[in-house]
Amino acid sequence: MADSPYPLAPYSHSLSPDTRHLLWSVAPGVVWIVIFLVLPSLYLISVAFMTNGPYGQPQMPLSLASFRQLAGFGFLGWSPGNLYTLLRSLWQTLVATGLVVLIAYPIAYHISTCRRQWRAIMLLAVVVPSWTNQVIRAFGWMNLLSPGTPISQVAQFFGFIGPNMGLYPSNFAVTLGLMYNFLPFMVLPLYAAFEKLDTGLVEAARDLYASPLRAFWHAVFPQTLPGLLAGTVLVSIPAFGMYVIPELLGGGRAMMLGNLVASQFSGGSNWPLGAAGALIMLLATLGGLYAMRKVGKRLGGGEEVVI
Amino acid sequence: MRRSAFRRSLTLFWWLMVAFLYLPLGVIVLYSFNAANSAAYFAGFSLRWYERLLGNDQLLTALGNTLVLGVASSVIALVIGTLIGYGMYRHRRRKLGWLIALIYLPIVMPDIVFGISEMAFFITLDREFGVLGPSLATMIIAHVTFQIPFVALIVYSRFVGLDPTLFEAAKDLYASPFQRARHFLLPTLKPSLVAAFFLAFTLSVDDFVISFFTAGPENATLPIYIWGAIRRGVSPEINAIATLMILSVAIAAVISLLFNKESRRN
Amino acid sequence: MTVSPTASTAPEGAVREASSITLDGLRKRFDGDAIALDGVDLTIHAGEFFTLLGPSGCGKTTLLRILAGLEAPDDGTLTIGGRDVTTTPPHLRSVNTVFQSYALFPHLSVSENIAFGLRMKGVPVDERRARVDRIAEFIKLGALLERGVNQLSGGQRQRVALARALVCEPDVLLLDEPLSALDAGLRTQLQVELQRTQKRLGMTFVFVTHDQDEAMVMSDRIAVLDNGVIQQVGPPHEVYERPINAFVAKFMGHVNLFAIEAVDADRVTTGLGELVMDPPLEKSGHSGVLLIRQEVVELGHAVSEGYNGLEGVVKERHYRGSRIEYRLEINGVTLMATAANLGQRLYAVDDRVTVSIHPEDIVRLNA
Repeated sequence: MADSPYPLAPYSHSLSPDTRHLLWSVAPGVVWIVIFLVLPSLYLISVAFMTNGPYGQPQMPLSLASFRQLAGFGFLGWSPGNLYTLLRSLWQTLVATGLVVLIAYPIAYHISTCRRQWRAIMLLAVVVPSWTNQVIRAFGWMNLLSPGTPISQVAQFFGFIGPNMGLYPSNFAVTLGLMYNFLPFMVLPLYAAFEKLDTGLVEAARDLYASPLRAFWHAVFPQTLPGLLAGTVLVSIPAFGMYVIPELLGGGRAMMLGNLVASQFSGGSNWPLGAAGALIMLLATLGGLYAMRKVGKRLGGGEEVVI
Repeated sequence: MRRSAFRRSLTLFWWLMVAFLYLPLGVIVLYSFNAANSAAYFAGFSLRWYERLLGNDQLLTALGNTLVLGVASSVIALVIGTLIGYGMYRHRRRKLGWLIALIYLPIVMPDIVFGISEMAFFITLDREFGVLGPSLATMIIAHVTFQIPFVALIVYSRFVGLDPTLFEAAKDLYASPFQRARHFLLPTLKPSLVAAFFLAFTLSVDDFVISFFTAGPENATLPIYIWGAIRRGVSPEINAIATLMILSVAIAAVISLLFNKESRRN
Repeated sequence: MTVSPTASTAPEGAVREASSITLDGLRKRFDGDAIALDGVDLTIHAGEFFTLLGPSGCGKTTLLRILAGLEAPDDGTLTIGGRDVTTTPPHLRSVNTVFQSYALFPHLSVSENIAFGLRMKGVPVDERRARVDRIAEFIKLGALLERGVNQLSGGQRQRVALARALVCEPDVLLLDEPLSALDAGLRTQLQVELQRTQKRLGMTFVFVTHDQDEAMVMSDRIAVLDNGVIQQVGPPHEVYERPINAFVAKFMGHVNLFAIEAVDADRVTTGLGELVMDPPLEKSGHSGVLLIRQEVVELGHAVSEGYNGLEGVVKERHYRGSRIEYRLEINGVTLMATAANLGQRLYAVDDRVTVSIHPEDIVRLNA
């Protein structure tokens, strides 16, 4: 056994075998994601710059016609429908995110002040509903808000809706559905921020300022900003692209961008128009992530990504 | 005293939120046992909607599709994702920004864009080359694509939590490369792999949008079936099947949580 | 593989014929970093307790990892027991390591951890169990065998790591700062235990540490490393009392180093004044520094016969229980002195004292 049967090569730290190992291990996944996600996305983006064919299929030449249509210029002159959809998406996202913050902030604080063994269970209680299918969750709200249900009757009594009407379909139901869907995504990062909170700072602030409100504003709020930021991105990006909730709870007048895009690929059959809408969503996503990195770096806590 | 009033109102707010979160699910479960065909009132306990489910062939097909899709995609994603997680860990000192960006892509992409780009891609491939027309295969491909990152991140974070000299100790104690995989890597990873499989499976069962756009006409999964049933008109039968799904997803999720906890404790 | 799994010798006494290690011109450089090892030549004798001593980043850990096979040298050869193992991967070397973090497998119990190496080598179950039991008794682990490794204290983990390495009966045992995570009392106890174990087994131990006291207590010989180069190799008393250069002297804890200013006949001039050395320095040796160990400086009111005599003032006094340290000032230069605490009156700050240093206790070193 004078000579080892194993050459040193696979164990040395020279570049080439190491690189080969890296490629060997990540190649299947990388190839998979590139072929089945990157290529399709690039194809979709290119479709946005094609012309709509007679059967809704994209064809040459390249043009910006789809973006003109998205801005409302059609065969029959200008109509604001698509722009309204875009604005509605933005508005719904904004309102739902704002309301979610208002609910999640005190909830996250409350969980962080409870006894340790309760906290895990409370977090679980917040998260479990989001594990069920979103179609089913939306359906639950349809059950609750349809005509004749107790909630609808109360709304009728106060005159919010007409007799024999339900609270759905409506913009209100969509907002509610969005809040319901995304609440956990805000509670989790905020809770993480509260749990790390330096209570010494709060005490120091109480010692120096005495007023609880000012102590909160100067000592607590800044420390929760990274969590708030992460939550805002986790809520607003998917909310902006939401498809299921407006489709089920909204009806025609509460359409959002996701529904506009989807309808161009099924009923409406105008692939370039749909692709243009998808491109806008993609850009909004990347913009949101970029903004989070930028602001997150300034706050010094942009690394936290909660799954 | 003021402080306790503050705390009491927080506790009240907490319970209101819990009610908000569980009311829609509770109503589904409740009405699934409703003797009457109504969402407005409860007319007494009955199992008739569950009995109807048993005779619904479409539904049973959808259940089969869901399970096949979930298991097949999770198994593939487990293998591919574990390899990526291991590669990311072994080479963590290199600049792997491109890899991390690529892995986060399926997570951050809005699912409607995800689903539609896959659909457009598959339909075009089918038209031009006659391959990969919308079918169960395309659904599995799409599901694997969004499951890979979650598996990879779970495996990676397990490795990061390990003492790096354990790898060297295994070498030092005469384990050959194969023995290291068999006697060190796999047993150490096992709880994380189980957790990753259940998470991937849950994600697959949970998904509607991506399945919806990549499915062929014959490949309805349970969420797609429910979607269609809702669009045709609300029926209490949906409550029954939705109740069963709530139950099964909750069980799978709890199992995943337990395994993850165990893997963290080690 | 040279290890015979049938070796059923008791751990007491020489387990196997111990192996010598020869390092010849070892070089190692990491990508972009400084040189880790810059031409190391070294022979470690069979059955020796050998310590690699040096500050962090001196290359001692890299050297140990090369011995273990976890790192490959860029250049040079490594021979263990007369066999060239430079390119042998770790799992085919009869060398085992006790890691600094202990690296116990969390998914295995204590006994499974200890048996891991035997299992990988294909030792049959019965023999495995017998050997684990024997080593457990030897290291006094009996009661811990069925525990999980998370239930162990630091000292227990260290023992398990040691048992896991020893049970494989390697040619050489490597120890990478295995005591650095333990508190002082336990550390002293385990130092003695380790040394005793090594002597009973007669195995070659290579120990890495940055603690010169630990190195001196345990080792047969010490190699002091700096910047990837071996500065000095020798038994503890030699390295301590006759350090080869200022770096080794400082690392061994010496502070009284004085640059040689001039050599005239039998007298050497330094900042302290003129000193007589025995044997006297050659004329050519007028560069370098003089080392006067703290404990050879005698304090009193008169200069003893045949000693160098100096006058100084006490500037600081540090009480250390069994001994007292004085910071003296002589001709504006600081000299540290240690006196055993014999119970007599201590000198006070600002006392004038007479300092006696024997000519034989003055050592010249390279700068």
